[in-house]
Amino acid sequence: MRPMTTPGGAALLAVDHVTKRYGKLTALDDISFAITDGITGILGENGAGKSTIIKILLGLLKPTSGTAKVLGENAYDNATVRGRVGYMPEHDCLPTRVSAAEFLTHMAEVSGLPPSQARTRAADTLRHVGLFEERYRAIGGYSTGMKQRVKLCQALVHDPAFVFLDEPTAGLDPMGREEMLGLIRKTHRDFGISVLFSSHLMADVERTCDRIIVLRGGQLVHAGDVAQFTKETETVFIEVDSHREQLVAALERRGIVVTAEGGGMTIEGPDETVYDHVRDALVEAAAPLRRMAPRRRELTELFEREAS
Amino acid sequence: MTGTVFDIGYQRYGGGREGRKRSRMAVYKDGFRTALGFGRGGRAKVLPWLFIAILIVIATVMALIAGAADRLGGPGAAERMNLPSHSDYYGIASVILFVFAAVVGPELLCPDRRNGVINLYLVRPLTGGDYIASRWAAFLTVMTAAACLPQIILFLGLSMGDPDPLLYLQNHWLDIPRFLLAGLAVAAYATGLALLAASFTTRRAYASVFLVGLFVISAPFTVGMAEELPGNAGAWMSMFNLSNIPVHVNDIIFGEVSEATEDAPARALGPTVLTAWYLLWTLGPMAILWARYRKLTP
Repeated sequence: MRPMTTPGGAALLAVDHVTKRYGKLTALDDISFAITDGITGILGENGAGKSTIIKILLGLLKPTSGTAKVLGENAYDNATVRGRVGYMPEHDCLPTRVSAAEFLTHMAEVSGLPPSQARTRAADTLRHVGLFEERYRAIGGYSTGMKQRVKLCQALVHDPAFVFLDEPTAGLDPMGREEMLGLIRKTHRDFGISVLFSSHLMADVERTCDRIIVLRGGQLVHAGDVAQFTKETETVFIEVDSHREQLVAALERRGIVVTAEGGGMTIEGPDETVYDHVRDALVEAAAPLRRMAPRRRELTELFEREAS
Repeated sequence: MTGTVFDIGYQRYGGGREGRKRSRMAVYKDGFRTALGFGRGGRAKVLPWLFIAILIVIATVMALIAGAADRLGGPGAAERMNLPSHSDYYGIASVILFVFAAVVGPELLCPDRRNGVINLYLVRPLTGGDYIASRWAAFLTVMTAAACLPQIILFLGLSMGDPDPLLYLQNHWLDIPRFLLAGLAVAAYATGLALLAASFTTRRAYASVFLVGLFVISAPFTVGMAEELPGNAGAWMSMFNLSNIPVHVNDIIFGEVSEATEDAPARALGPTVLTAWYLLWTLGPMAILWARYRKLTP
């Protein structure tokens, strides 16, 4: 498996042959990868092992075998290293009766910052996520999107070198999801903090991440650049009004593999010449084109395809 | 002259990071503030301060009665009349202190687990053991203050009410370390039990009702049973009167028998057994709490 490190760059996170078992259940099976600077997405269905690997990297779980290092240190043996990383859990984790400013100041102190610095950092972080005006309101009165931003803030308030985000877009409406993905990009681009975020939504990972780790059933099935992964998993969907069979024959004569799908057809792994071939095949088959669009395979679809 | 506001953007933090020591201190400070309602709305302040006010009123009334007795009956009249003093205070106020612990203590643990905030603590440079030790220390501080402040007021009141305050200080200065130690004993006992009950539920009300019920029911139940049982069995049953456990220790510290325990058959078992019983009920909850939180993960 190709380690995701930049040439000469030291890994911020290094997972080396990690296995985690709960009794007879294997949650992670001999996983290895390394991550340097940037935004990395960890993709997998529910139960794939995403949260388990994050907990191991945070030092909250001890791997059954193998080693997991964060910033060069074994997090399980050294709780102090957790002062240099941030974590945004998937589920609710906010008090309702205190203000965002009070809560973030407290969280900064719990991360090891002196009280005066903690207050300044709390106000600054709230300003950067657009909650400065609302900072003295009790968190219980916030909208879901605002609460999600407070959750992100508490992970960033102590200025970590690395931040783990567990399903950060879960439960958000489309606008809230856009805002959250924008904040994640901003976290790396403007704040200089590297990100590992888990999701089961491929679209979120593709649009936000530089690199991707794909887990399935506790096993690593892919680790590499998002662009490469996207290319490997892209398809082109074509729908015509008539002469469908003639079009399929014309495409196959040009060496293009076509799969029937509903009323249309799908071309697997298109390259830069495929659109020219489709144009020529449409002319040859005299098929009136109704729709042609690039598409991504869903995660489940990819896994099913791989299994078959 | 005009000014320009520049957005200097995100600034990396280059200051000190004080690690676990600061983390523990922050959880301790937050626990202290939570218990007294600081940084929360008015409703969060009502209950703790109401109980503290009641405890102070009891001490003030005791001081006023003693002062009035001295004025009417001459110097030393309060002592001759055997009016309640420092050694009797915890016998009188222990029930209020226990209800205070039952109502306020769970607030330090239950909301953190119900809201999921505990998950944020555990991913910081802090272990589950650090968290519970800091919370325990915070509540012990509040309880000790609630137990000792009225005694300090009582001491000041008795000194001022005496016709010769300096002579009173000379004769009674030893009461100060005694009531501080007894206050700490009552506070440590109530803190452990309140936090232990809170560790089993995410609902503060459940823990509070359970604790108040335990203290209220244990007294009449054990007194009734102790009268029925013969010899030492009655004395041992009387040991389960939870309100009296720290009051027996208070009696040992002052070398006197307070009104609350003078009829308790448990006294027959002697100071060693009573002290060991107190330590079991104080250190036991601490050990269980530690074991429950030590391995906690989000």
